[in-house]
Amino acid sequence: MVGRRADHRLRSKRKGSVFVVDALTSEILNGVGSFATLAIVALGLGIVFGLMGVINLAHGEFVMVGAYVAFMVQEAGRSHWLAIPIAAIVLLLLGGMIELALIRRIYQRPELTILATFGLSIVLRQLAELIFTKDFRSVVNPVPGATPALGVLYPTYRFVLIAVAVTVVVVTLLTFTRSQFGLTVQAIVADRELAESAGIRTSVVNSLAFGIGAATAGVAGALVAPLGAVEPQIGLTYLPGAFLVVIVGGVSRLWGVVLGAGIVAAVQTGAIHFADAVLAQIVSLLLAVVVLQFGRSSRSGLVA
Amino acid sequence: MRLQATGLEAGYGAVPALHGVSVSVEQGEIVAIVGRNGVGKTTLIKALMGLLPATSGSVRLGGNDVTRWPPSRRVRAGLRAVYQERAVFSELTVRDNLRLNGLDASAQADVLEMFPDSLIGRDQQRAGTLSGGEQKMLASGCALRAGASILVMDEPTEGLQPSNVDLLGKHLSQARDDGLGVILVEQHLALATSLATRFVVLEKGEVVASGHADEPDIHERIATHLVI
Ligand SMILES: Nc1ncnc2c1ncn2[C@@H]1O[C@H](COP(=O)(O)OP(=O)(O)OP(=O)(O)O)[C@@H](O)[C@H]1O
Ligand SMILES: [Mg+2]
Repeated sequence: MVGRRADHRLRSKRKGSVFVVDALTSEILNGVGSFATLAIVALGLGIVFGLMGVINLAHGEFVMVGAYVAFMVQEAGRSHWLAIPIAAIVLLLLGGMIELALIRRIYQRPELTILATFGLSIVLRQLAELIFTKDFRSVVNPVPGATPALGVLYPTYRFVLIAVAVTVVVVTLLTFTRSQFGLTVQAIVADRELAESAGIRTSVVNSLAFGIGAATAGVAGALVAPLGAVEPQIGLTYLPGAFLVVIVGGVSRLWGVVLGAGIVAAVQTGAIHFADAVLAQIVSLLLAVVVLQFGRSSRSGLVA
Repeated sequence: MRLQATGLEAGYGAVPALHGVSVSVEQGEIVAIVGRNGVGKTTLIKALMGLLPATSGSVRLGGNDVTRWPPSRRVRAGLRAVYQERAVFSELTVRDNLRLNGLDASAQADVLEMFPDSLIGRDQQRAGTLSGGEQKMLASGCALRAGASILVMDEPTEGLQPSNVDLLGKHLSQARDDGLGVILVEQHLALATSLATRFVVLEKGEVVASGHADEPDIHERIATHLVI
């Protein structure tokens, strides 16, 4: 995802500064956009890992499905704004069903969740190829044009993306940390048997939590669809960044995901500014290595 | 309502720890389960709740065969438990523990007042920072106020000072008189004797003796199984 984003930026620069007036300001805005995307994609990953102990290698494919939902909504002649809630609902259901059929059986065995979700990611990509072929599909930007901000002209849709992503992240975080639903999820994480014995239907709550994690990825997919090509492999560009965020931020507190996204976005944006996209990738990987080396546990990162 | 286990077999891995145990309790009575360490009392409690699957035999609750029901469904049907270990969510606050047990504000206040010296004013504390005895009192209070018809309790007096044992006894006999049925696993024989209407003695995963509290030789019969 780092490379893709940077290429896009370089391309738009070369195209003759239509949008870019002040390179630094727009780089900062790119950084904010990258933060928002990282945060919303990593959040779902953080939820299912932190709360359910599942390492979901198919999370990127949930983003991919969300992007195809946006494409189908467009083909059906409907507004892109409709695509965002529809993607959320489709992925909530798909995620809930996957939890029921697959994940439920392997909670106690983290190594199996890796294999199972890896297999699932392949299946989802193959299905996408079967239905949509490998062709690049495009979703039309619903708000072409640019908006002046901080002295530069910046693509309006990117502001929309930031606003929607940040809203979804905040609402999801509040749901998991402040609501009765969030409390029941915490109880299940703390002690599933005791939660059952308090009358909590842990199987329903688990399906719902996994579904919500998938739904945030679906929203992310629908949001990024107009920014690039929609194709079966698109999920693969998002997964490494999201994992990096989860590693850096940690998931022992969900807010860690947001801070992790902030750190990763800042490091990447800074590296791109002072050097290039390749160095940004290397720096990101080093960051992960350092955190993994010195982290207190598999669930805690630098901040949570 | 009646909780009835018949020929219950359950255990860990290949080895069963219960070999065909039958026990029952009606609403309004307390049945004491006694036996030495490791005879399968906790295993029985877990099998009654559904935390351990029954490999044979059945559990009925009211009119339903609940043998294959998950614990939460049994809870919704009127069953509750207090466990010997990990009786509360130690990572969560006392208040959150009360909320998770589905108690409304007034029931939450009731629970704290059941053991006033131990629980009042502690509601914002993590339950894990309560002492072992205090955690037990919190768990018992939650279970007693949660509106269950049948309660299974695994050594609720473990770690309680004598005055709190008396207090728990008072709450239990009150609840029994209000129509609660209790299966009470108890090492504290004096309490069991003062509360129970019936006794069941377990040994090596089997019921080896049982009887009503008013049978003249009941205490001698229990004692012969408990002395080493
Ligand atoms: N998790 C477990 N895995 C394997 N065996 C177990 C497990 N828990 C208990 N057991 C065995 O099952 C048997 C019954 O144990 P259980 O805990 O039911 O005894 P208990 O009567 O509750 O003892 P206590 O009075 O010490 O609480 C014992 O032999 C014990 O070693
Ligand atoms: Mg025991």
